Amino acid sequence: MSAGHEDSGFVARRFVVAEFATPEALLAGTRKVREGGYKDVDTHTPIPIHGLEAALGLGRPKIPTIVLCGAIAGICIAYSMIYFCNVIDFPINVANRPMHSPPANIPITFELAVLLAGGSSFFGFFTLAGLPKPYHPIFESEQFGRAAIDAFFLSVELPVGADADRALADVRAAGAASAELVHESER
Amino acid sequence: MSAATSNPQAPVVELAPFRGGRRWVVGGGAAGLVFLILTFIGMAVSPREAFYSYLVAFAYWCGIAMASVILLMIFHATHARWMTVLRRPVEVMAASVAIFLLLFIPLAIGMKHIYIWVDPPADLGREALRLLAHKRPYLNPTGFVVRAVAYLLVATFLSWRLYGWSLRQDKTGEVALTQRQRNLGAGGLPFIGIAISFAAFDWLMSLNPTWFSTVYGVYFFSGSLVASLSLLAIVTGMGRARNVFGGHMTDEHTHSVGKLMLAFTCFWTYIAFSQLLLIWIAGLPEETPFYITRFGAGWAWVGALLIFGHFFLPFAALLSRSLKRNPFRLGVVAGWILLIHYVDIFWLVMPSLHPEGFSLHWTNVTAFLGVGLVAIAFAVSRLRGRFAIPVKDPYLADSFRYRP
Repeated sequence: MSAGHEDSGFVARRFVVAEFATPEALLAGTRKVREGGYKDVDTHTPIPIHGLEAALGLGRPKIPTIVLCGAIAGICIAYSMIYFCNVIDFPINVANRPMHSPPANIPITFELAVLLAGGSSFFGFFTLAGLPKPYHPIFESEQFGRAAIDAFFLSVELPVGADADRALADVRAAGAASAELVHESER
Repeated sequence: MSAATSNPQAPVVELAPFRGGRRWVVGGGAAGLVFLILTFIGMAVSPREAFYSYLVAFAYWCGIAMASVILLMIFHATHARWMTVLRRPVEVMAASVAIFLLLFIPLAIGMKHIYIWVDPPADLGREALRLLAHKRPYLNPTGFVVRAVAYLLVATFLSWRLYGWSLRQDKTGEVALTQRQRNLGAGGLPFIGIAISFAAFDWLMSLNPTWFSTVYGVYFFSGSLVASLSLLAIVTGMGRARNVFGGHMTDEHTHSVGKLMLAFTCFWTYIAFSQLLLIWIAGLPEETPFYITRFGAGWAWVGALLIFGHFFLPFAALLSRSLKRNPFRLGVVAGWILLIHYVDIFWLVMPSLHPEGFSLHWTNVTAFLGVGLVAIAFAVSRLRGRFAIPVKDPYLADSFRYRP
Protein backbone atom coordinates (compact mmCIF):
# COMPACT_ATOMS: atom_id res chain seq x y z
CA MET A 1 0.00 0.00 0.00
CA SER A 2 1.48 3.33 -0.99
CA ALA A 3 1.49 6.26 1.38
CA GLY A 4 -0.04 8.69 -1.12
CA HIS A 5 -1.28 9.30 -4.63
CA GLU A 6 0.81 11.70 -6.62
CA ASP A 7 -2.03 12.63 -8.99
CA SER A 8 -4.43 14.04 -6.34
CA GLY A 9 -1.78 15.54 -4.07
CA PHE A 10 -3.26 13.57 -1.16
CA VAL A 11 -0.79 12.59 1.54
CA ALA A 12 -2.18 9.97 3.91
CA ARG A 13 -1.61 10.69 7.60
CA ARG A 14 0.09 7.81 9.32
CA PHE A 15 -0.46 6.63 12.88
CA VAL A 16 1.32 4.13 15.03
CA VAL A 17 -1.34 2.35 17.11
CA ALA A 18 0.00 0.37 20.05
CA GLU A 19 -1.86 -1.78 22.53
CA PHE A 20 -0.79 -2.03 26.17
CA ALA A 21 -1.73 -4.85 28.50
CA THR A 22 -2.51 -2.81 31.62
CA PRO A 23 -3.28 0.81 32.55
CA GLU A 24 0.03 0.95 34.43
CA ALA A 25 1.92 -0.17 31.34
CA LEU A 26 0.06 2.44 29.30
CA LEU A 27 0.98 5.19 31.77
CA ALA A 28 4.64 4.23 31.76
CA GLY A 29 4.63 3.71 28.00
CA THR A 30 3.05 7.10 27.36
CA ARG A 31 5.71 8.84 29.41
CA LYS A 32 8.49 6.95 27.65
CA VAL A 33 7.14 7.64 24.15
CA ARG A 34 6.80 11.35 24.90
CA GLU A 35 10.31 11.41 26.34
CA GLY A 36 11.41 9.83 23.06
CA GLY A 37 10.49 13.10 21.35
CA TYR A 38 7.13 12.18 19.81
CA LYS A 39 4.73 15.12 19.78
CA ASP A 40 1.24 14.01 18.64
CA VAL A 41 0.62 11.32 21.23
CA ASP A 42 -2.85 10.32 22.37
CA THR A 43 -4.31 7.50 24.46
CA HIS A 44 -7.59 5.63 24.13
CA THR A 45 -9.00 3.70 27.08
CA PRO A 46 -12.37 2.24 28.03
CA ILE A 47 -12.13 3.66 31.58
CA PRO A 48 -10.72 6.90 33.00
CA ILE A 49 -7.16 6.39 34.21
CA HIS A 50 -5.76 8.76 36.81
CA GLY A 51 -2.50 10.37 35.83
CA LEU A 52 -2.93 10.07 32.07
CA GLU A 53 -3.41 13.82 31.60
CA ALA A 54 -0.11 14.39 33.36
CA ALA A 55 1.59 11.61 31.37
CA LEU A 56 0.29 13.16 28.14
CA GLY A 57 1.39 16.61 29.30
CA LEU A 58 -2.04 18.07 28.62
CA GLY A 59 -1.93 20.81 31.25
CA ARG A 60 -5.02 22.42 32.68
CA PRO A 61 -8.22 22.26 30.58
CA LYS A 62 -9.41 25.43 28.85
CA ILE A 63 -13.11 24.75 29.47
CA PRO A 64 -13.32 26.65 32.82
CA THR A 65 -12.08 29.87 31.21
CA ILE A 66 -14.57 29.49 28.36
CA VAL A 67 -17.40 28.87 30.82
CA LEU A 68 -16.42 31.92 32.86
CA CYS A 69 -16.45 34.07 29.71
CA GLY A 70 -19.87 32.64 28.82
CA ALA A 71 -21.23 33.46 32.28
CA ILE A 72 -19.88 37.01 32.22
CA ALA A 73 -21.31 37.54 28.72
CA GLY A 74 -24.69 36.26 29.98
CA ILE A 75 -24.63 38.69 32.90
CA CYS A 76 -23.76 41.65 30.67
CA ILE A 77 -26.28 40.82 27.95
CA ALA A 78 -29.17 40.13 30.33
CA TYR A 79 -28.63 43.11 32.58
CA SER A 80 -28.12 45.60 29.77
CA MET A 81 -31.15 44.22 27.91
CA ILE A 82 -33.39 44.55 31.00
CA TYR A 83 -32.02 48.00 31.65
CA PHE A 84 -32.64 49.07 28.06
CA CYS A 85 -36.21 47.73 28.05
CA ASN A 86 -37.25 49.01 31.47
CA VAL A 87 -35.51 52.35 31.64
CA ILE A 88 -34.88 53.57 28.08
CA ASP A 89 -37.14 51.90 25.57
CA PHE A 90 -40.42 51.22 27.34
CA PRO A 91 -40.61 52.55 30.93
CA ILE A 92 -43.73 51.40 32.80
CA ASN A 93 -44.55 52.43 36.32
CA VAL A 94 -45.06 49.21 38.35
CA ALA A 95 -46.30 49.87 41.90
CA ASN A 96 -44.25 53.06 41.91
CA ARG A 97 -40.94 51.22 42.03
CA PRO A 98 -37.91 52.83 40.43
CA MET A 99 -37.56 52.11 36.72
CA HIS A 100 -34.20 50.58 37.46
CA SER A 101 -34.91 48.04 40.25
CA PRO A 102 -31.89 45.74 40.66
CA PRO A 103 -33.57 42.97 42.73
CA ALA A 104 -36.10 42.29 39.98
CA ASN A 105 -33.30 42.04 37.40
CA ILE A 106 -31.21 39.47 39.21
CA PRO A 107 -33.18 36.28 38.35
CA ILE A 108 -33.04 36.86 34.58
CA THR A 109 -29.40 37.90 34.81
CA PHE A 110 -28.62 34.73 36.73
CA GLU A 111 -30.59 32.55 34.31
CA LEU A 112 -28.86 33.91 31.23
CA ALA A 113 -25.48 33.57 32.94
CA VAL A 114 -26.25 29.90 33.64
CA LEU A 115 -27.61 29.33 30.14
CA LEU A 116 -24.61 30.82 28.37
CA ALA A 117 -22.19 29.17 30.81
CA GLY A 118 -23.83 25.80 30.16
CA GLY A 119 -23.95 26.39 26.41
CA SER A 120 -20.34 27.51 26.26
CA SER A 121 -19.19 24.46 28.23
CA PHE A 122 -21.07 22.17 25.80
CA PHE A 123 -20.05 23.88 22.58
CA GLY A 124 -16.63 24.77 23.93
CA PHE A 125 -15.97 21.09 24.58
CA PHE A 126 -17.22 20.17 21.09
CA THR A 127 -14.98 22.74 19.47
CA LEU A 128 -11.88 21.88 21.51
CA ALA A 129 -12.39 18.15 20.95
CA GLY A 130 -12.77 18.73 17.21
CA LEU A 131 -16.28 17.28 17.16
CA PRO A 132 -18.23 16.28 15.16
CA LYS A 133 -15.63 14.09 13.48
CA PRO A 134 -17.22 11.36 11.37
CA TYR A 135 -13.88 9.88 10.27
CA HIS A 136 -10.53 9.44 11.92
CA PRO A 137 -7.70 7.43 10.37
CA ILE A 138 -7.12 5.49 13.58
CA PHE A 139 -10.32 3.51 12.94
CA GLU A 140 -8.53 1.87 10.02
CA SER A 141 -7.01 -0.37 12.67
CA GLU A 142 -8.98 -3.62 13.10
CA GLN A 143 -8.01 -3.90 16.75
CA PHE A 144 -8.90 -0.35 17.71
CA GLY A 145 -12.60 -0.99 18.39
CA ARG A 146 -11.56 -2.73 21.58
CA ALA A 147 -10.49 0.62 23.02
CA ALA A 148 -14.16 0.99 23.98
CA ILE A 149 -14.26 -2.46 25.58
CA ASP A 150 -11.16 -3.87 27.22
CA ALA A 151 -7.95 -2.60 25.65
CA PHE A 152 -5.59 0.31 26.37
CA PHE A 153 -4.26 2.01 23.25
CA LEU A 154 -1.65 4.59 22.54
CA SER A 155 -1.50 6.36 19.21
CA VAL A 156 1.22 8.51 17.70
CA GLU A 157 0.71 10.57 14.59
CA LEU A 158 3.89 10.43 12.53
CA PRO A 159 5.16 13.60 10.86
CA VAL A 160 5.51 13.47 7.09
CA GLY A 161 8.68 11.64 6.19
CA ALA A 162 9.27 10.11 9.62
CA ASP A 163 10.67 6.60 9.82
CA ALA A 164 7.69 4.34 10.59
CA ASP A 165 9.78 1.29 11.45
CA ARG A 166 11.76 3.22 14.03
CA ALA A 167 8.52 4.53 15.58
CA LEU A 168 7.12 1.00 15.77
CA ALA A 169 10.29 -0.20 17.46
CA ASP A 170 10.17 2.72 19.88
CA VAL A 171 6.62 2.04 21.09
CA ARG A 172 7.40 -1.66 21.47
CA ALA A 173 10.43 -0.70 23.52
CA ALA A 174 8.14 1.48 25.64
CA GLY A 175 6.21 -1.62 26.67
CA ALA A 176 3.51 -2.04 24.02
CA ALA A 177 2.16 -5.59 23.72
CA SER A 178 1.57 -5.04 20.01
CA ALA A 179 1.92 -2.16 17.57
CA GLU A 180 0.83 -1.49 14.02
CA LEU A 181 0.99 1.25 11.45
CA VAL A 182 -2.28 2.62 10.01
CA HIS A 183 -2.75 4.91 7.05
CA GLU A 184 -5.49 7.41 6.43
CA SER A 185 -7.87 6.21 3.75
CA GLU A 186 -8.30 8.51 0.75
CA ARG A 187 -12.08 8.12 0.61
CA MET B 1 -14.15 -8.47 68.00
CA SER B 2 -14.19 -11.33 65.55
CA ALA B 3 -12.91 -11.79 62.04
CA ALA B 4 -16.45 -11.97 60.70
CA THR B 5 -17.42 -8.49 61.89
CA SER B 6 -14.18 -6.59 61.34
CA ASN B 7 -12.85 -5.56 57.99
CA PRO B 8 -9.93 -7.72 56.84
CA GLN B 9 -8.91 -5.25 54.12
CA ALA B 10 -8.64 -2.21 56.39
CA PRO B 11 -5.32 -0.44 55.87
CA VAL B 12 -2.92 -0.50 58.77
CA VAL B 13 -2.64 3.07 59.99
CA GLU B 14 0.46 3.86 61.97
CA LEU B 15 -0.84 6.83 63.88
CA ALA B 16 -0.64 7.56 67.57
CA PRO B 17 -3.69 9.02 69.32
CA PHE B 18 -3.91 12.80 69.18
CA ARG B 19 -2.06 14.33 72.14
CA GLY B 20 -1.73 17.92 70.94
CA GLY B 21 -4.06 20.82 71.49
CA ARG B 22 -3.20 21.22 75.19
CA ARG B 23 -2.76 24.95 74.68
CA TRP B 24 -6.22 25.20 73.14
CA VAL B 25 -7.90 23.28 75.94
CA VAL B 26 -6.10 24.84 78.92
CA GLY B 27 -5.01 28.24 77.64
CA GLY B 28 -7.95 28.76 75.28
CA GLY B 29 -10.46 27.49 77.80
CA ALA B 30 -9.08 29.73 80.57
CA ALA B 31 -9.00 32.77 78.30
CA GLY B 32 -12.54 31.95 77.18
CA LEU B 33 -13.74 31.83 80.78
CA VAL B 34 -12.08 35.19 81.48
CA PHE B 35 -13.81 36.73 78.46
CA LEU B 36 -17.11 35.18 79.54
CA ILE B 37 -16.72 36.67 83.04
CA LEU B 38 -15.98 40.06 81.46
CA THR B 39 -19.16 39.65 79.42
CA PHE B 40 -21.10 38.78 82.56
CA ILE B 41 -19.75 41.94 84.19
CA GLY B 42 -20.94 43.77 81.07
CA MET B 43 -24.36 42.21 81.57
CA ALA B 44 -24.50 43.73 85.05
CA VAL B 45 -23.34 47.15 83.85
CA SER B 46 -25.23 47.56 80.56
CA PRO B 47 -27.52 44.54 80.30
CA ARG B 48 -29.14 45.24 76.93
CA GLU B 49 -25.86 45.75 75.04
CA ALA B 50 -24.19 42.79 76.72
CA PHE B 51 -27.06 40.33 76.30
CA TYR B 52 -27.46 41.25 72.65
CA SER B 53 -23.72 40.76 72.17
CA TYR B 54 -23.98 37.42 73.90
CA LEU B 55 -26.88 36.40 71.64
CA VAL B 56 -24.80 37.22 68.54
CA ALA B 57 -21.89 35.16 69.84
CA PHE B 58 -24.12 32.29 70.93
CA ALA B 59 -25.99 32.13 67.61
CA TYR B 60 -22.68 32.31 65.73
CA TRP B 61 -20.88 29.49 67.52
CA CYS B 62 -23.89 27.31 68.24
CA GLY B 63 -24.93 27.65 64.58
CA ILE B 64 -21.51 26.40 63.50
CA ALA B 65 -21.76 23.44 65.89
CA MET B 66 -25.29 22.52 64.79
CA ALA B 67 -24.35 22.91 61.11
CA SER B 68 -21.41 20.57 61.78
CA VAL B 69 -23.84 17.98 63.11
CA ILE B 70 -25.82 18.31 59.89
CA LEU B 71 -22.65 18.13 57.80
CA LEU B 72 -21.59 14.94 59.55
CA MET B 73 -25.04 13.43 59.07
CA ILE B 74 -25.10 14.37 55.38
CA PHE B 75 -21.75 12.63 54.97
CA HIS B 76 -23.20 9.50 56.57
CA ALA B 77 -26.54 9.70 54.78
CA THR B 78 -24.90 9.97 51.35
CA HIS B 79 -22.48 7.11 52.16
CA ALA B 80 -19.61 9.45 51.37
CA ARG B 81 -16.27 7.68 51.40
CA TRP B 82 -13.87 10.45 50.38
CA MET B 83 -14.30 12.32 53.64
CA THR B 84 -13.49 9.44 55.99
CA VAL B 85 -9.98 10.77 56.62
CA LEU B 86 -11.31 14.19 57.68
CA ARG B 87 -14.42 12.94 59.45
CA ARG B 88 -12.92 13.12 62.94
CA PRO B 89 -12.63 16.95 62.95
CA VAL B 90 -16.27 17.17 61.79
CA GLU B 91 -17.32 14.74 64.52
CA VAL B 92 -15.49 16.79 67.14
CA MET B 93 -17.00 20.07 65.90
CA ALA B 94 -20.42 18.42 65.99
CA ALA B 95 -19.92 16.94 69.45
CA SER B 96 -19.05 20.39 70.80
CA VAL B 97 -22.76 21.29 70.52
CA ALA B 98 -23.24 19.86 74.02
CA ILE B 99 -21.44 22.80 75.66
CA PHE B 100 -24.13 25.14 74.34
CA LEU B 101 -26.60 23.62 76.78
CA LEU B 102 -24.48 25.32 79.46
CA LEU B 103 -23.81 28.43 77.41
CA PHE B 104 -27.55 28.89 76.89
CA ILE B 105 -28.10 29.68 80.59
CA PRO B 106 -27.19 33.40 80.26
CA LEU B 107 -29.75 33.73 77.47
CA ALA B 108 -32.45 32.08 79.59
CA ILE B 109 -31.63 34.53 82.38
CA GLY B 110 -31.34 37.62 80.19
CA MET B 111 -34.32 36.89 77.95
CA LYS B 112 -36.28 39.92 79.16
CA HIS B 113 -33.47 42.27 78.10
CA ILE B 114 -33.40 40.86 74.58
CA TYR B 115 -36.89 39.88 73.45
CA ILE B 116 -39.71 42.37 73.39
CA TRP B 117 -42.32 39.57 73.52
CA VAL B 118 -41.31 38.55 77.06
CA ASP B 119 -43.02 41.60 78.48
CA PRO B 120 -44.54 43.68 75.66
CA PRO B 121 -44.56 47.40 76.50
CA ALA B 122 -48.01 49.02 76.35
CA ASP B 123 -46.86 51.68 73.85
CA LEU B 124 -46.19 49.04 71.21
CA GLY B 125 -49.49 49.70 69.44
CA ARG B 126 -52.81 47.92 69.57
CA GLU B 127 -52.23 45.77 66.50
CA ALA B 128 -48.79 44.58 67.62
CA LEU B 129 -50.06 43.80 71.12
CA ARG B 130 -52.93 41.80 69.66
CA LEU B 131 -50.48 39.83 67.51
CA LEU B 132 -48.20 39.13 70.46
CA ALA B 133 -51.14 37.96 72.56
CA HIS B 134 -52.09 35.66 69.69
CA LYS B 135 -48.52 34.26 69.55
CA ARG B 136 -48.33 33.89 73.33
CA PRO B 137 -48.94 30.11 73.36
CA TYR B 138 -45.72 29.75 71.34
CA LEU B 139 -43.68 32.82 72.24
CA ASN B 140 -43.49 32.64 76.03
CA PRO B 141 -40.45 32.35 78.33
CA THR B 142 -41.13 28.76 79.45
CA GLY B 143 -41.68 27.52 75.93
CA PHE B 144 -38.57 29.38 74.76
CA VAL B 145 -36.32 27.63 77.28
CA VAL B 146 -37.93 24.20 76.92
CA ARG B 147 -37.64 24.33 73.13
CA ALA B 148 -34.04 25.57 73.19
CA VAL B 149 -33.08 22.70 75.48
CA ALA B 150 -34.91 20.31 73.16
CA TYR B 151 -33.08 21.59 70.05
CA LEU B 152 -29.72 21.30 71.78
CA LEU B 153 -30.53 17.87 73.19
CA VAL B 154 -31.49 16.59 69.73
CA ALA B 155 -28.22 17.89 68.30
CA THR B 156 -26.22 16.57 71.25
CA PHE B 157 -27.81 13.15 71.10
CA LEU B 158 -27.20 12.77 67.36
CA SER B 159 -23.61 14.00 67.43
CA TRP B 160 -22.61 12.06 70.57
CA ARG B 161 -24.23 8.88 69.29
CA LEU B 162 -22.43 9.16 65.93
CA TYR B 163 -19.11 10.12 67.54
CA GLY B 164 -19.48 7.34 70.11
CA TRP B 165 -19.99 4.71 67.45
CA SER B 166 -17.09 6.09 65.47
CA LEU B 167 -14.81 5.92 68.52
CA ARG B 168 -15.97 2.39 69.29
CA GLN B 169 -15.08 1.37 65.75
CA ASP B 170 -11.55 2.69 66.36
CA LYS B 171 -11.17 -0.06 68.93
CA THR B 172 -13.24 -2.95 67.57
CA GLY B 173 -13.33 -2.32 63.83
CA GLU B 174 -16.94 -3.57 63.68
CA VAL B 175 -18.33 -2.92 60.19
CA ALA B 176 -21.88 -2.92 61.57
CA LEU B 177 -21.15 0.39 63.29
CA THR B 178 -20.74 2.04 59.90
CA GLN B 179 -24.21 0.86 58.96
CA ARG B 180 -25.63 2.26 62.19
CA GLN B 181 -23.97 5.61 61.59
CA ARG B 182 -25.46 5.73 58.12
CA ASN B 183 -28.94 4.83 59.34
CA LEU B 184 -28.89 7.41 62.11
CA GLY B 185 -27.29 9.96 59.78
CA ALA B 186 -30.16 9.66 57.33
CA GLY B 187 -32.96 9.09 59.83
CA GLY B 188 -31.96 11.93 62.13
CA LEU B 189 -31.73 14.61 59.45
CA PRO B 190 -35.41 15.69 59.64
CA PHE B 191 -35.10 16.16 63.39
CA ILE B 192 -31.91 18.21 63.30
CA GLY B 193 -33.28 20.16 60.31
CA ILE B 194 -36.39 21.11 62.28
CA ALA B 195 -34.27 21.84 65.36
CA ILE B 196 -31.94 24.33 63.62
CA SER B 197 -34.84 26.02 61.76
CA PHE B 198 -36.87 26.54 64.89
CA ALA B 199 -33.74 27.55 66.80
CA ALA B 200 -33.33 30.35 64.25
CA PHE B 201 -37.00 31.30 64.61
CA ASP B 202 -36.82 31.35 68.41
CA TRP B 203 -33.39 32.88 69.00
CA LEU B 204 -33.12 35.34 66.12
CA MET B 205 -36.38 35.86 64.24
CA SER B 206 -38.39 36.48 67.42
CA LEU B 207 -36.30 39.64 67.93
CA ASN B 208 -38.96 41.18 65.65
CA PRO B 209 -41.90 39.18 66.97
CA THR B 210 -44.46 40.71 64.61
CA TRP B 211 -42.32 39.96 61.58
CA PHE B 212 -41.85 36.62 59.87
CA SER B 213 -39.95 35.00 57.02
CA THR B 214 -40.49 31.34 56.28
CA VAL B 215 -36.99 30.91 54.84
CA TYR B 216 -35.30 32.39 57.91
CA GLY B 217 -34.31 29.01 59.34
CA VAL B 218 -32.65 27.97 56.10
CA TYR B 219 -30.89 31.33 55.94
CA PHE B 220 -29.38 30.76 59.36
CA PHE B 221 -28.50 27.17 58.47
CA SER B 222 -26.89 28.05 55.15
CA GLY B 223 -24.67 30.74 56.64
CA SER B 224 -23.74 28.47 59.53
CA LEU B 225 -22.85 25.63 57.17
CA VAL B 226 -20.51 27.85 55.12
CA ALA B 227 -18.87 28.90 58.39
CA SER B 228 -18.69 25.28 59.56
CA LEU B 229 -16.99 24.21 56.32
CA SER B 230 -14.61 27.16 56.61
CA LEU B 231 -13.72 26.17 60.15
CA LEU B 232 -13.18 22.62 58.87
CA ALA B 233 -10.86 23.96 56.15
CA ILE B 234 -8.83 25.85 58.76
CA VAL B 235 -8.75 22.96 61.25
CA THR B 236 -7.73 20.40 58.63
CA GLY B 237 -5.19 22.85 57.19
CA MET B 238 -3.63 23.26 60.63
CA GLY B 239 -3.79 19.50 61.15
CA ARG B 240 -2.02 18.87 57.87
CA ALA B 241 0.68 21.41 58.67
CA ARG B 242 1.30 19.66 62.02
CA ASN B 243 1.08 16.19 60.46
CA VAL B 244 -1.90 15.25 62.64
CA PHE B 245 -3.39 13.08 59.89
CA GLY B 246 -0.18 11.16 59.27
CA GLY B 247 0.08 12.57 55.74
CA HIS B 248 -3.08 10.73 54.70
CA MET B 249 -5.05 13.88 54.06
CA THR B 250 -4.03 15.24 50.67
CA ASP B 251 -4.66 18.22 48.41
CA GLU B 252 -7.59 16.26 46.96
CA HIS B 253 -9.43 16.36 50.29
CA THR B 254 -8.63 20.03 50.81
CA HIS B 255 -9.84 20.69 47.26
CA SER B 256 -13.17 19.01 47.97
CA VAL B 257 -13.69 20.98 51.18
CA GLY B 258 -13.07 24.11 49.11
CA LYS B 259 -15.62 22.96 46.54
CA LEU B 260 -18.20 22.52 49.30
CA MET B 261 -17.39 26.01 50.58
CA LEU B 262 -18.01 27.39 47.09
CA ALA B 263 -21.27 25.47 46.72
CA PHE B 264 -22.65 26.57 50.08
CA THR B 265 -21.54 30.16 49.52
CA CYS B 266 -23.83 30.07 46.49
CA PHE B 267 -26.53 28.37 48.57
CA TRP B 268 -26.39 31.13 51.20
CA THR B 269 -26.62 33.76 48.48
CA TYR B 270 -29.55 32.00 46.87
CA ILE B 271 -31.47 31.87 50.16
CA ALA B 272 -30.54 35.42 51.15
CA PHE B 273 -31.60 36.76 47.78
CA SER B 274 -34.84 34.72 47.71
CA GLN B 275 -35.83 36.20 51.04
CA LEU B 276 -35.04 39.73 49.91
CA LEU B 277 -36.70 39.44 46.50
CA LEU B 278 -39.96 37.93 47.74
CA ILE B 279 -40.37 40.50 50.49
CA TRP B 280 -39.27 43.39 48.28
CA ILE B 281 -41.48 42.50 45.34
CA ALA B 282 -44.60 41.88 47.44
CA GLY B 283 -44.04 44.98 49.55
CA LEU B 284 -46.50 43.90 52.24
CA PRO B 285 -46.49 46.09 55.36
CA GLU B 286 -46.15 43.14 57.77
CA GLU B 287 -43.14 41.70 55.91
CA THR B 288 -41.05 44.77 55.11
CA PRO B 289 -40.00 46.17 58.54
CA PHE B 290 -36.97 43.84 58.72
CA TYR B 291 -35.52 45.32 55.54
CA ILE B 292 -36.69 48.89 56.16
CA THR B 293 -34.50 48.97 59.28
CA ARG B 294 -31.58 47.38 57.47
CA PHE B 295 -31.88 49.59 54.37
CA GLY B 296 -31.65 52.64 56.64
CA ALA B 297 -28.60 54.88 56.36
CA GLY B 298 -26.87 53.39 59.42
CA TRP B 299 -27.14 49.77 58.32
CA ALA B 300 -27.20 49.85 54.50
CA TRP B 301 -23.41 49.70 54.22
CA VAL B 302 -23.35 46.54 56.36
CA GLY B 303 -25.82 44.92 53.95
CA ALA B 304 -23.67 46.01 51.01
CA LEU B 305 -20.63 44.59 52.79
CA LEU B 306 -22.48 41.29 53.14
CA ILE B 307 -23.31 41.15 49.43
CA PHE B 308 -19.69 41.70 48.49
CA GLY B 309 -17.97 40.00 51.41
CA HIS B 310 -20.27 37.03 51.85
CA PHE B 311 -20.81 36.34 48.15
CA PHE B 312 -18.72 38.09 45.50
CA LEU B 313 -15.38 37.93 47.27
CA PRO B 314 -15.43 34.27 48.45
CA PHE B 315 -17.17 33.20 45.24
CA ALA B 316 -14.52 34.77 43.02
CA ALA B 317 -11.71 33.48 45.22
CA LEU B 318 -13.08 29.94 45.47
CA LEU B 319 -13.50 29.65 41.69
CA SER B 320 -9.74 29.21 41.52
CA ARG B 321 -8.67 25.59 41.50
CA SER B 322 -5.13 26.21 42.67
CA LEU B 323 -6.44 28.24 45.64
CA LYS B 324 -8.73 25.41 46.75
CA ARG B 325 -5.85 22.93 46.59
CA ASN B 326 -3.59 25.04 48.79
CA PRO B 327 -4.46 24.57 52.49
CA PHE B 328 -2.96 27.92 53.48
CA ARG B 329 -4.67 30.04 50.85
CA LEU B 330 -7.96 28.18 51.36
CA GLY B 331 -7.51 28.86 55.07
CA VAL B 332 -7.19 32.60 54.41
CA VAL B 333 -10.49 32.61 52.48
CA ALA B 334 -12.05 30.44 55.20
CA GLY B 335 -10.90 32.94 57.83
CA TRP B 336 -12.52 35.74 55.87
CA ILE B 337 -15.79 33.76 55.61
CA LEU B 338 -15.74 33.13 59.36
CA LEU B 339 -15.36 36.87 59.90
CA ILE B 340 -18.07 37.88 57.46
CA HIS B 341 -20.42 35.25 58.90
CA TYR B 342 -20.08 37.10 62.20
CA VAL B 343 -21.09 40.30 60.38
CA ASP B 344 -24.07 38.36 58.99
CA ILE B 345 -25.29 37.27 62.45
CA PHE B 346 -24.53 40.76 63.79
CA TRP B 347 -26.67 42.19 60.96
CA LEU B 348 -29.49 39.83 61.88
CA VAL B 349 -29.47 40.69 65.59
CA MET B 350 -28.14 44.15 66.33
CA PRO B 351 -30.56 46.33 64.30
CA SER B 352 -33.22 45.28 66.82
CA LEU B 353 -31.19 47.07 69.51
CA HIS B 354 -29.83 49.92 67.40
CA PRO B 355 -32.33 50.58 64.59
CA GLU B 356 -30.65 53.91 63.93
CA GLY B 357 -27.38 52.43 62.77
CA PHE B 358 -24.29 50.31 63.32
CA SER B 359 -22.60 50.47 66.69
CA LEU B 360 -20.09 48.17 68.32
CA HIS B 361 -19.93 47.54 72.06
CA TRP B 362 -16.91 46.08 73.85
CA THR B 363 -19.03 43.13 74.96
CA ASN B 364 -19.39 42.15 71.28
CA VAL B 365 -15.70 41.25 71.34
CA THR B 366 -15.61 39.61 74.77
CA ALA B 367 -18.76 37.54 74.13
CA PHE B 368 -17.46 36.38 70.74
CA LEU B 369 -14.11 35.32 72.18
CA GLY B 370 -15.60 33.94 75.39
CA VAL B 371 -18.20 31.68 73.79
CA GLY B 372 -15.86 30.77 70.94
CA LEU B 373 -12.81 29.87 73.00
CA VAL B 374 -14.84 27.85 75.50
CA ALA B 375 -16.55 25.94 72.67
CA ILE B 376 -13.22 25.32 70.88
CA ALA B 377 -11.56 24.19 74.12
CA PHE B 378 -14.43 21.78 74.71
CA ALA B 379 -14.23 20.50 71.12
CA VAL B 380 -10.46 19.93 71.28
CA SER B 381 -10.83 18.17 74.64
CA ARG B 382 -13.23 15.73 72.90
CA LEU B 383 -10.41 14.79 70.52
CA ARG B 384 -7.46 14.48 72.89
CA GLY B 385 -6.43 10.88 73.46
CA ARG B 386 -8.41 9.70 70.43
CA PHE B 387 -7.18 9.05 66.91
CA ALA B 388 -7.32 12.06 64.57
CA ILE B 389 -8.74 9.85 61.82
CA PRO B 390 -11.19 6.92 62.15
CA VAL B 391 -8.44 4.32 61.96
CA LYS B 392 -10.65 1.25 61.46
CA ASP B 393 -13.36 2.65 59.22
CA PRO B 394 -13.97 0.14 56.40
CA TYR B 395 -13.81 2.91 53.80
CA LEU B 396 -10.58 4.45 55.03
CA ALA B 397 -8.59 2.94 52.16
CA ASP B 398 -10.98 4.50 49.65
CA SER B 399 -10.53 7.83 51.34
CA PHE B 400 -6.73 7.55 51.30
CA ARG B 401 -6.59 7.04 47.56
CA TYR B 402 -9.32 9.57 46.83
CA ARG B 403 -8.86 11.12 43.38
CA PRO B 404 -12.04 12.82 42.16
